[in-house]
Amino acid sequence: MNMVQALNSELDLRMGADDSIILLGEDIGIDGGVFRVTDGLQAKYGQERVMDTPLEELGIVGMAIGMATTGLRPVPEIQFQDFIYTAFDQIVNQMAKMRYRTAGRITVPMVLRTPYGGGIRGGLYHSQSGETYFAHTAGLTVVTPSNPYDAKGLLSSSMDLNDPVVFLEPKRLYRAQKADVPEEDYKVPLRKANLVRSGDDLTIITYGSMVPTVIQTVEKNSLDADVLDLRTLVPMDIDSIVASVKKTGRVMIVHEAPRTLGMGSEISAAISERVIEYLYAPIVRVTGPDTPFPYRLEEYYLPNERRILAAARKILDFR
Amino acid sequence: MTENVNEQVDKEKYVRAYGAMVLSRTFDRKIITAQRQGRVGFYTPTMGQEATQVGASMALDKDDLIFEYYRDVPMMIHRGVPMEKLLDQIMGNSEDYAKGRQMPSHFIARDNNFMSIQSPVASNLPLATGAAYALKYRKKNSIVLTTFGDGSTSTPDFHAAMNMAAVYELPLVFLCENNQWAISLPIEKQTKAEIWKKAEGYGMEGVKVDGNDLLATYKATAEAVRKARDGKGPTLIEAVSFRMGPHSTSDDPNKYRSNTVQDGSDQDPIILTEKALKHMGILNDSMIEKIKSEAERIVTEKFEEREKIPPPEPSTMFDDVYEEMSWMVKEERGEIL
Ligand SMILES: Cc1ncc(C[n+]2csc(CCOP(=O)(O)OP(=O)(O)O)c2C)c(N)n1
Ligand SMILES: [Mg+2]
Repeated sequence: MNMVQALNSELDLRMGADDSIILLGEDIGIDGGVFRVTDGLQAKYGQERVMDTPLEELGIVGMAIGMATTGLRPVPEIQFQDFIYTAFDQIVNQMAKMRYRTAGRITVPMVLRTPYGGGIRGGLYHSQSGETYFAHTAGLTVVTPSNPYDAKGLLSSSMDLNDPVVFLEPKRLYRAQKADVPEEDYKVPLRKANLVRSGDDLTIITYGSMVPTVIQTVEKNSLDADVLDLRTLVPMDIDSIVASVKKTGRVMIVHEAPRTLGMGSEISAAISERVIEYLYAPIVRVTGPDTPFPYRLEEYYLPNERRILAAARKILDFR
Repeated sequence: MTENVNEQVDKEKYVRAYGAMVLSRTFDRKIITAQRQGRVGFYTPTMGQEATQVGASMALDKDDLIFEYYRDVPMMIHRGVPMEKLLDQIMGNSEDYAKGRQMPSHFIARDNNFMSIQSPVASNLPLATGAAYALKYRKKNSIVLTTFGDGSTSTPDFHAAMNMAAVYELPLVFLCENNQWAISLPIEKQTKAEIWKKAEGYGMEGVKVDGNDLLATYKATAEAVRKARDGKGPTLIEAVSFRMGPHSTSDDPNKYRSNTVQDGSDQDPIILTEKALKHMGILNDSMIEKIKSEAERIVTEKFEEREKIPPPEPSTMFDDVYEEMSWMVKEERGEIL
């Protein structure tokens, strides 16, 4: 299965088993979603459970929160992460804070799915990587898969959680890769990074769309590197990060989102606070630049093999 | 004597309007074909909305401002945006006003008072209220027109703009181009109320017009524009037409609708306009033939010409984030180039 099929299969399994699961979003029903993640589900489960909503992100998220506070387990979709911002008040002030403001008396078990990131020639408004906006909000769990197997297992764990999850789907990987994905339900744990590859010289911490790019670069150039795929961005798996850094003493962080206050900033600070004495070289970030996302020149925006390799040289050669 | 002169002027006005509609349709067909051939990345066809847009455009003055949306090619052509610039935007080449930064269909033409396009729908509407306020504040005689689809009326932005415009009695015309679809969602599922009727709840006049009828759209917009210029506040116009093409070149309407209006059929606004203008004695078959073949020639020539223009220099990607480049971007530019 590719990532789209893996996500679809998980939604299908869970909806079949639990009638409290409701999907809502723009064009997710008869059209099956613009990326086809919900394809066939309205035909199977009906319009009451797979809702083609009006064009209203604020309404979609707010309505889902209301459902979640009263016994349903909604999985809303925002068509592109770039269009989520009118719902931000709902996300930050309702979804994220409900458990805290009611001391756990009211909770919000929902998974807010949305495709994010570039690489599909989407320009400024169909390419954004806004994970930091969510990561900076206490109460949100932020998850992003990097392959079809993880996508299904992480979605499953997210749908089990009794807290709101922002589930960011790297749209560039939707159809990039086919993998063996079990038909049945299984879990990939939240708050656990995946050590995708093991090595001694260098730790590369990454997630989402950049994972395949990093792995290809490491393999092609025979870098002896630990590659950590975070999978859950918040709360991130600090133990796995620290363990790897203690082993290699050299760290690179790769993400597509802009550098300033990207995930790399937090990871870098967390490492410095805990294990700075293990470091042989400065931590280096390879990220998208602090500009909006361009259309025609997008290949210059996205971190690539050349930049990852240059950063690796810089770190490995550091004396 | 004066009457004759006016009639002549009016005739030319309609011939020009029809010419813009045909040119836009020809452009549409060309870009859709080019997209299939891999020569263009993406496009949102405008076919079906020519009469709405050109009719509205006829009612505007040169100095009026337009906060447009992505389907407004016919209006842009009618207001004299050079075809070269539309093609440069779609190709994202180095001659593009916006340096190839935006996805195709996200035009800007500041020289023609088009205020540029964002993808998040309806977020142009609150901006239109600000611009209208500025014009009023400066006691200008110009007005603002803002356009958007039927789906866009569901957004918080629509609500905010309608309310503000009414409260401040702004010189603003809201033109809702109701093409009856928002990607796969038909209008009946978008809203339970008729769009033009929503105006009343904001304390604004609402008007419904047949958006396939060039003359009717022209007249309705002219009336709203006159009101706005006279300081009598905003109007919401709902112009009903039909989205003849797919939502975009990435969309497959066969998944969600079986009915459509065919290019060149009796419900096609271009055919309807031909009929009306012929009936009025403004157009005849040989004129129509000439306008169509001329459009064909222009589009083909210009497309081939603009296709040869190279992409923007990579360094341009780092400009215009701020007036003065930040140290972060300077560093990143050094690393990336
Ligand atoms: C805020 C926002 N949400 C979702 C989208 C994705 N999207 C692009 S166009 C569109 C439908 C717009 O329909 P309508 O307003 O009727 O305009 P039309 O495309 O029919 O001209 C959607 C959902 C978007 N661009 N912006
Ligand atoms: Mg529409």
